[in-house]
Amino acid sequence: MTKQRQLRFTVIRSLVAILIALLVATLLIFISASGATFHDKLEATREALKQMLAGPVFRFSKKNGTAFEAKRLADILAAMIPTIFTGLSVCVMFSANQFNLGAEGGIMLGAFVTAMVAIYLPLPAGLHPVVAVLIGGAAVALVMLLPALLKTKLNVSEMVCSLMLNYIIMYVIKYLMNTHLADKSRGQIMSYPFRGSSAISPIINNAVFSGAKLSWGFVIAIAAVILCGLFMYRSRWGYAIRMIGINQDFAKYSGMKVGAVIVLSQVLGGFLAGAGGGIEMLGRYTSFSWSALPGYGWTGITIAILAGNNPYMVPLAAFFMAYLSKGCDLMATYAKVPAQLIDIVQGVIFLFFAAEQFLSGYRQKLVVRSAQEEIERARAEGGRQNA
Amino acid sequence: MPDERASENYVVRMKGITKVYPNGVAANQGVDFDLRKGEIHALMGENGAGKSTLMKMLFGLEQPTSGEIIVNGEKLELTSPSVAIAHGIGMVHQHFMLVPSLSVAENMVLGMAPKKSGLFVDRAKAIEITREYSEKFNLHVEPEAKVMDIPVGMKQKVEILKALVRGAKILIMDEPTAVLTSQETAELFVELKNLKNQGYTIVFISHKLNEIMEITDRLTIMRNGRSMGVYNTCDVTKEEISRLMVGRDVVLSVQKDKAVPGDTVLRVRELEYVNEWHKKMLDKVSFDVRKGEILGIAGVEGNGQKELIDMLFSFNVPNSGTATVNGTSILGLPQQRIRELGVSLVPEDRMLYGIAADASIEENVISDRASDKRYNSGPLFNMKAIHQEADRLIREFTVLCKDRSQHVGMLSGGNIQKVVVAREFSNDPVLILADQPTRGIDVGATEFIRKKLVELSRSGIAVLLVSADLNEVMELSDSLIVMHNGQIAAYFDDTAGLTDEIMGEYMLGLKQQSDQEIRRACHD
Repeated sequence: MTKQRQLRFTVIRSLVAILIALLVATLLIFISASGATFHDKLEATREALKQMLAGPVFRFSKKNGTAFEAKRLADILAAMIPTIFTGLSVCVMFSANQFNLGAEGGIMLGAFVTAMVAIYLPLPAGLHPVVAVLIGGAAVALVMLLPALLKTKLNVSEMVCSLMLNYIIMYVIKYLMNTHLADKSRGQIMSYPFRGSSAISPIINNAVFSGAKLSWGFVIAIAAVILCGLFMYRSRWGYAIRMIGINQDFAKYSGMKVGAVIVLSQVLGGFLAGAGGGIEMLGRYTSFSWSALPGYGWTGITIAILAGNNPYMVPLAAFFMAYLSKGCDLMATYAKVPAQLIDIVQGVIFLFFAAEQFLSGYRQKLVVRSAQEEIERARAEGGRQNA
Repeated sequence: MPDERASENYVVRMKGITKVYPNGVAANQGVDFDLRKGEIHALMGENGAGKSTLMKMLFGLEQPTSGEIIVNGEKLELTSPSVAIAHGIGMVHQHFMLVPSLSVAENMVLGMAPKKSGLFVDRAKAIEITREYSEKFNLHVEPEAKVMDIPVGMKQKVEILKALVRGAKILIMDEPTAVLTSQETAELFVELKNLKNQGYTIVFISHKLNEIMEITDRLTIMRNGRSMGVYNTCDVTKEEISRLMVGRDVVLSVQKDKAVPGDTVLRVRELEYVNEWHKKMLDKVSFDVRKGEILGIAGVEGNGQKELIDMLFSFNVPNSGTATVNGTSILGLPQQRIRELGVSLVPEDRMLYGIAADASIEENVISDRASDKRYNSGPLFNMKAIHQEADRLIREFTVLCKDRSQHVGMLSGGNIQKVVVAREFSNDPVLILADQPTRGIDVGATEFIRKKLVELSRSGIAVLLVSADLNEVMELSDSLIVMHNGQIAAYFDDTAGLTDEIMGEYMLGLKQQSDQEIRRACHD
């Protein structure tokens, strides 16, 4: 198949998947919408869809009409920071065909360890956040050695191991917070405040964005995307990770250190998730108060699959997910539709992307057309040579 | 209306069959094919001509992109093999579809086993059925033997009987003689003629001219996914068939000078290996491969050749024995170390080991050298150097492709193998292990790879060639080993004067050289 046709197929496939998901969402909104009559329900559905699809960047009010809303856009960008990191983390691990689901626990542990460094380790401003985030990332990298080594040495399923590890991490952190680390002077369970030197400063002027919080973490996340892309497509280690993901037997036969690379992919994935947690913590919060898994790791899996494990596509996928999430929040606020709907929409999109045979009939048609054109061309060329 | 009457005799008519695979390969283009009741019909063509694809569609393993299939006058949608079997079509695959650890009788009734008290397999009944069919069709098998213990020829009979038990009236035989010795082939032909006389219709897929002339009534020739016509076997000559099949006169004899062997590169001594079913696959195997020579290993598949290569490339470790390359032991080393010693492998299963199908040609040709200084600058790849290397290899090995970024899985079999060979031949090897290097690929690529092997050996590289293709080993090898039952059955220091018959006797284990003669394979 020609490259253009391949690209066209990918784009059409993605759009159809999203469209179907939205149709399903519309149907569900209609069912759950409040209203006595059919017309009321229809009206409520229309309002809800408007909020979900356009709300994230526009504000609708009776007085001022529809206006572009910079704050909401900034909120979306800020929400992308942790999910870009978990998306990259999952990309690196899944590329090696390692279904490590530890990004979820990883981002929580990274956030926690970074927070501890921010609280207890006095360092000068500028250096403090860097060291804190690096330690946070390193801690998760170290923990990810566990599923990686169990996989390579004892052939334990990294999926099961990392999944369980998420809960171990969560409960250990909860235990530490509840017993030893909580700031007793506060009304709820949270840590002592971070030292001022540890904060990652905001990137944009609050006056323009009327209270939006977007830290330099966003720029770091984009830098991480580029570094990660270079690593995966332009370095021998990323190359080895991808080849092992495509065909492990081939990689072994070619003389690659398969075991070492499998460990590397999970350790690196762990580092990315951990660093993401740290950056999120220092850019948005002033003390650690997470008491449950934040969900960024699960979103990261969706993002990696949407991005086809390509780091460069991660920001796009992360934007899409953050936009959708914001839209659903607004819908819940203004149109009285349950915010849980986003999980259903996510699930449906996920389903169609993961279904390899989705639209395969259409793909086959494109393939047949390409093949026929090629045959025709070969015949034409052959004819010319004979003549 | 003579036309009408003639068509009544057709048990199968395939009209205008076109098949395009999801990877874009158009394997069949508007092919017509028909079978008369009670004939042996040859389907001929080179590897990759589309024979197997056409028959897979008749057996319901693949569905045509367009065209229709009419069986016994009824237009059918053959959506799966079970539909085909229900209409009396059976297939004997080239690679047997048998469960090695089960007995012959159990394999016979697999999926349709007779039951005792509705729950347990009735073994006695299964054996009885097997005996009954075995006698009826005069196909001798041992119902109680385990399939892994019986010879290849008998496995094939089990396959044929399996199809017959399931009610097949039309038998598709995919290259049935490829794995047989000449004696076993002769036996098979008697059995096929017998089946024909009982009214069965047989499709005989092959590219061996002598066999076709001997046994078939009509033949359909395929080339490049198209039918080149249908002929009565008695009306055409071998030369005509050959021309129709190949479209040009292929000189398959490779020109080569006499080898001047140098020092020993690969030294194998007393290699022994017992597999997981406690079968001795390698039994005191000892030989040397010297610089500048091609040592061939012939033998019916499954006589230890695969295990030998597995040991030499560390996919497995032997129970005892030694193997050294230029004095360094290679047994159990990581593949990376083995490659550093200058050993290259053209693997038997190219799709499993030879390539990463979803990666580009470029990514495939650098897989063994990606960490090399030449292709890295600092932490990143030197993309310019990699592009140059990939383009050079594509040019030098005439890989037919759009460009270096095309996925290898999209290429034809011959071009995939050229990608493998381009990598394995270009890393300055001292020893090349070539395992079935030209299996299943087109004539052009075959010729190219054979010439390269000779060229490389004459430049001072040691080559160990394992091939089930007798022509290939006899043509290319300077000296030759025949393996049977895990042992070296014969060693020939010169291939001149060797005939198929002599080879066949050693391959089948009818003859065995003395220890003294075999010891000549070691050049101490």
